[in-house]
Amino acid sequence: MADNGLSSSQQVNNVLIQPSNLECKNLYDYLTTRPQNVLERLYNHPTICLAVYRELPELARQYVIRILFVEQPVPQAVVASWGHQAFSKEHVYVSKVLSNLFVWQEASIPGGLPGWILSTTFKRNLKIALLGGGKPWSMSSALDPDNKARDITFLDAYSAERWECVLHYMVGSQQQEGISADAVRILLHAGLMKRDEDDGSPVITRQGFQFLLLDRQAQVWHFVLQYLDTVEQRGLDLAECLTFLFQLSFSTLGKDYSTEGMNQRLLVFLQHLREFGLVYQRKRKAGRFYPTRLALNITSSQSKGVHVLEDVPKGYIVVETNYRVYAYTDSNLQVALLGLFTDLLYRFPNVVVGILTRDSIRQALRGGITAEQIIGYLTQHAHSQMLQNESNHALPPTVVDQIKLWELERNRLVYSDGVLYSQFLSQADFNVLREYAQSSGYLIWSNKEKRTMVVNKSGHDDVKKFWKRYSKGN
Amino acid sequence: MSLELETTKSEDFVSTDEISLLVIILDTNPGQRLLRENPQTLTQCVDSIIAFGNSHLMQKSQNKLAIMACHSKTSEFIYPGASKTLDIRQIDGQYEVFTLVERTIKTNLHKIIATENTILSNESLLAGALSMALCYIHRIQRNKPPGCKLNSRILVVTGSGDSAFQYMSYMNVFFTAQKQNVVIDVCALDQHLSLLQQGCDITNGLYLKIPQLQGLLQYLLWVFLPEPPIRPKLVLPPPVKVDYRAACFCHREMVDIGYVCSVCLSIFCKFSPICTTCHTVFKMPGPLAVKSKKKKMKL
Repeated sequence: MADNGLSSSQQVNNVLIQPSNLECKNLYDYLTTRPQNVLERLYNHPTICLAVYRELPELARQYVIRILFVEQPVPQAVVASWGHQAFSKEHVYVSKVLSNLFVWQEASIPGGLPGWILSTTFKRNLKIALLGGGKPWSMSSALDPDNKARDITFLDAYSAERWECVLHYMVGSQQQEGISADAVRILLHAGLMKRDEDDGSPVITRQGFQFLLLDRQAQVWHFVLQYLDTVEQRGLDLAECLTFLFQLSFSTLGKDYSTEGMNQRLLVFLQHLREFGLVYQRKRKAGRFYPTRLALNITSSQSKGVHVLEDVPKGYIVVETNYRVYAYTDSNLQVALLGLFTDLLYRFPNVVVGILTRDSIRQALRGGITAEQIIGYLTQHAHSQMLQNESNHALPPTVVDQIKLWELERNRLVYSDGVLYSQFLSQADFNVLREYAQSSGYLIWSNKEKRTMVVNKSGHDDVKKFWKRYSKGN
Repeated sequence: MSLELETTKSEDFVSTDEISLLVIILDTNPGQRLLRENPQTLTQCVDSIIAFGNSHLMQKSQNKLAIMACHSKTSEFIYPGASKTLDIRQIDGQYEVFTLVERTIKTNLHKIIATENTILSNESLLAGALSMALCYIHRIQRNKPPGCKLNSRILVVTGSGDSAFQYMSYMNVFFTAQKQNVVIDVCALDQHLSLLQQGCDITNGLYLKIPQLQGLLQYLLWVFLPEPPIRPKLVLPPPVKVDYRAACFCHREMVDIGYVCSVCLSIFCKFSPICTTCHTVFKMPGPLAVKSKKKKMKL
């Protein structure tokens, strides 16, 4: 009775009907997709170590700093004992992150215990960033005072104008000047725009709309990542560009930096950054440049949600509990974005009034925008008046909940991979197997009358083994 | 039921998106025993404090740092300094901001020590420095943009003893800090500080008397670097039994049992007929019980 007719058939449902959403990687996601030797090369630069360190989870940052000055490997059990028992799950997660980034490696301690040791390159360069030593960064050579020094307000206006140029181009405001073929190529490469079938002119895609809803910082980071993808085709060195990018992100706003000592490739890179408004340069050959706010803290994405203290966000949207949205703006771009998920009612020279309805939100959801993105956009641009109230929510909680409910309405089905077991010969066999699957937590669905059951994919091997043992025993 | 258990998403452990403000009060009074015996210790302490401050700034890009020097006569902010920020260009691989911190602290500390007069007093105005730090924190809290969260703490690093002379000011500071949600941490370099330990206990801070000065930086990084929201996740020195004796208001001595003014709750080690704080007049304690008994007998 080796085979009593039980057949298991692979249920293929990889084809999920999920719309292709904009995938926003943070620095961690980006780096984990790089091979180890690239990472090792990157860790040769103090700036990158600093950026990676800041991107680590909180607990990991504490671990790293605790063993930064320790030369021998530290037993894993000791590291585990630093955290509280209740947070052991977090400890496991954090250790995985550190291993994934090759920040620390496993090493054995005399005595046979497994231990952790920080990557030597990472350790050395993080120490340099923290305490000094080593070579200066490439852009820090001394400069004479600039006789046409630019102040922060100017730089902010400049960077905002440059960046909005790109965004305007995306929504097709028909102005072609101010954006180069290079930027268009990156937009196309990133899938934010695609060539129209009819006339070949670039049009915005679904991902493009989602991109527009991100906050400025996340937009820049996403854009730069896409740019970095193509960087090697342009004959530039990835490590070099990344290092320079992080140097920029750790520079001081309103200060000028020298281009002296930068090689030809970096100068090309600088010109590209200049075009997107990440740096300001008066002339191509000026010999100095000013980083703008766009380039600073480039990795702090939306999830962090905190603005730098000096940076006063200028919100313009008021949302009321009756779902009305008032936007104090005259920018076509912002109105168009708001129009993605609101029914616009009136438009005045300085204010637009709209209302959030089930239909308007559903239309946006159908377009692939998520509720999270809508809420994120509204929160991030909330009028300062909305932030004043005592509660921690910028938006009325009812509205937030309702938007989420409207999204949930659409997701009534949950897909999970599984394996179908059917054609049991006896009810007893079926019961035994179902019992086993249920107690091990593998069972997804079962039907007694039809003697069929579905087991999740990870449990399939176990259940199969159990079945073989069981049927042999009989 | 169908969720995969192995993949733990990073969203499960959302890190606190708060800005952390750290004010370090460094006791630089040359009168303290440590510095009298070995003046070089100060250099080591300052270096450790700078490295520690920079590690705090390294945690998050938005973190804030302020450092104060506390003397026997004055307390002053040495970072951020009162004067214009120095124009710093990198000289080595250190992060620009860190270099700026280091230079500012060293320059300002130099200025303070240069103006110090030669009469040594072994008492530092820690309570005064603490109140200045609280004011500073309050200002930052008020100026922060709406909608952003800020947690603040004060770290006191001192080698001098705490005298009961400042008892009143200490208690005022501790309870203000508690009310403002400011955590006070204390790192004692030389002697055990019972008053400041009370302050740590009141404000949920950590108190540590370091066993040896050599490892100051490591102690600081291990114990005091985690900001208050993540402290519950780590195993840190457990709170010990705190000596909650109060100092009397008349002679500034620690007392176990004393007299308490029934109006203003001032504490005295000896009976005094007039409360020195609120000027309430008390009757001399006499054989009252006997008198009343007699009256009853007559009626």
